[in-house]
Amino acid sequence: MSILFKKSKRRRSRMSIKEERTAYLYLIPAFMGLTFITYLPLLGVFGISFFEWKGISAPRFNGLDNYIKLFTRDHFFIDSIKVTVYFSLIAVLGSMIYSLFIAMLLNRKIPARGFFRAIFYVPYVLPATAVYIGWSWLYETNFGLFNYLLTKIGLNRVQFLASSKLVVPSLAVISVWLSGNLIVIFLAGLQNVPRIYHEAAEIDGANSWQRFRHITIPCMTPIIFYNLLMSLVTNMQIVVPALSITNGGPGNASMFMTYLMYRYAFLSNQIGYACAISFIFFLIIAIFTGILFATSKAWIFYEGGD
Amino acid sequence: MKHKEKNLFKSRKRKEMAVSLISLIIIIIMAFAVLFPIWWIFRTSLMSNAEIYKYPPLFFPSKFRISNYTKTLEEFDFWKYFFNTMTIIVPSVIGGTLTATICGYAFARLRFRGKKFIFSLCVGSMLLPTMVTLIPLYIMWTKGLGLVDSYLPMILPYFTGGGAFNIFLIRQFIMTVPRELDEAATIDGAGRFRILTNIIVPAIKPAMIVVALLIFIGLWNDLLQQTVYINSEAKTTIAIGLTNFRGALKADWSLTMAATCMSFAPGVIFYLIGQKYFVEGIVMTGMKN
Repeated sequence: MSILFKKSKRRRSRMSIKEERTAYLYLIPAFMGLTFITYLPLLGVFGISFFEWKGISAPRFNGLDNYIKLFTRDHFFIDSIKVTVYFSLIAVLGSMIYSLFIAMLLNRKIPARGFFRAIFYVPYVLPATAVYIGWSWLYETNFGLFNYLLTKIGLNRVQFLASSKLVVPSLAVISVWLSGNLIVIFLAGLQNVPRIYHEAAEIDGANSWQRFRHITIPCMTPIIFYNLLMSLVTNMQIVVPALSITNGGPGNASMFMTYLMYRYAFLSNQIGYACAISFIFFLIIAIFTGILFATSKAWIFYEGGD
Repeated sequence: MKHKEKNLFKSRKRKEMAVSLISLIIIIIMAFAVLFPIWWIFRTSLMSNAEIYKYPPLFFPSKFRISNYTKTLEEFDFWKYFFNTMTIIVPSVIGGTLTATICGYAFARLRFRGKKFIFSLCVGSMLLPTMVTLIPLYIMWTKGLGLVDSYLPMILPYFTGGGAFNIFLIRQFIMTVPRELDEAATIDGAGRFRILTNIIVPAIKPAMIVVALLIFIGLWNDLLQQTVYINSEAKTTIAIGLTNFRGALKADWSLTMAATCMSFAPGVIFYLIGQKYFVEGIVMTGMKN
């Protein structure tokens, strides 16, 4: 009996060694990616950020100089943090409210729901560059659509993209317009909210606001969390509008962090300095996602009380 | 009593109908609002410059000037740009989907030492913005490996599992496939690879299509990497070509919009063909995490 058991155990371990080999073989692509595309470059960013490196000449170690310069003398940099955070704030909040609102309307008993859902999703499949260039015409000061609509309701024309006050909100509106994917995810989540909860609450005399506040929102928290996270990471990395239409302007009003990093690294060859920006950018996103995760336990409601 | 209850039920039903009707009206207005910018861009692309500067503006072009498009094509070499863009996208989509499937399978089904650690490395990298690692990767590809003015720096990363997010997505899907199927196949003498190709892949096809679409959209939008890695006119993509075209003729809005519409077209056409997968797929990404 015990011999038999031993034998089978040995056989199993031989099998599991084989299984392990197969696993490592299959994971070669992931190993390569994690090593060479993710973690080594991340170390690289951190390492290079302590050097002065102009591209052609050899890199020269200069300690914390890049960071000191960033925070004390580079007003572009401080502006870029403000602009990026400001933009993300409007774009994320706007997208979340807009897409939850549309998803809730679509969740009603309305005809052709699939058709409407498909329409709200269209902007998401358009190439970003073309979207921003198209919208730059809608935002045009003298002949653009939006200024026509403003004059139509008796307001003055404004410079949407050419004024430093309005450029960020104007670009954030485009981000909201592009957030059709969030609508689709929200809608699927809403359809998973058990109807029985609503029916029970209705019998207890809850009005629709109360039901929204105490049933829909709690049941949706995991989805809200996911959408918030994805939307935040996407919007923080905004760079296409600066590359394709604003060039960071007017002034530094749309100088997003990634665009500034691009300018230093690829237009003025200050590679070490640009890496310092990248690393700070990494830290900022890490802090934001960290806050989201840390607070998530307090406000995410998992069904089954988990 | 019974009569009263019936009335109550009726009035509730009526109220529900009213709410649905209002929702429908708002939805229709919002749908128009969402599509209107696209219509405005399209109608501009068909108008003469004299027409687009008219006040009040015309909502419909007086006649469809297809000539705008032929004129645009003289400068904006759409077909070349499209072909170039596809040269990046097609291999990336294939490589990314296949490697994500293989890696996702290993994480979902195989037992091996260090699995937890490697998987957490994978999940951790999901939140790492790609922008952060751009500079070291650029140095590695161009200075280290000499890949200057090449598409490979954009394509090859997709052959490493297509990004942690995609591996994760595939893993989640494979976990929903009943293990009994694998076991039955093992008894029939099928090896791991056979199980993967004959059982797992057919079962998770929708997830693979989602991964393919996500890679497609990601590359489609990635103006930054294209700007960084491509220097020659011969290799210009749609996104770069369009940016340059706009820069070259700043004020000619109708031609710029014609070029914009051409750039919209492939996305819209792919969307119309694969609408079901696009929408259902995005739903999956949200539900499975």
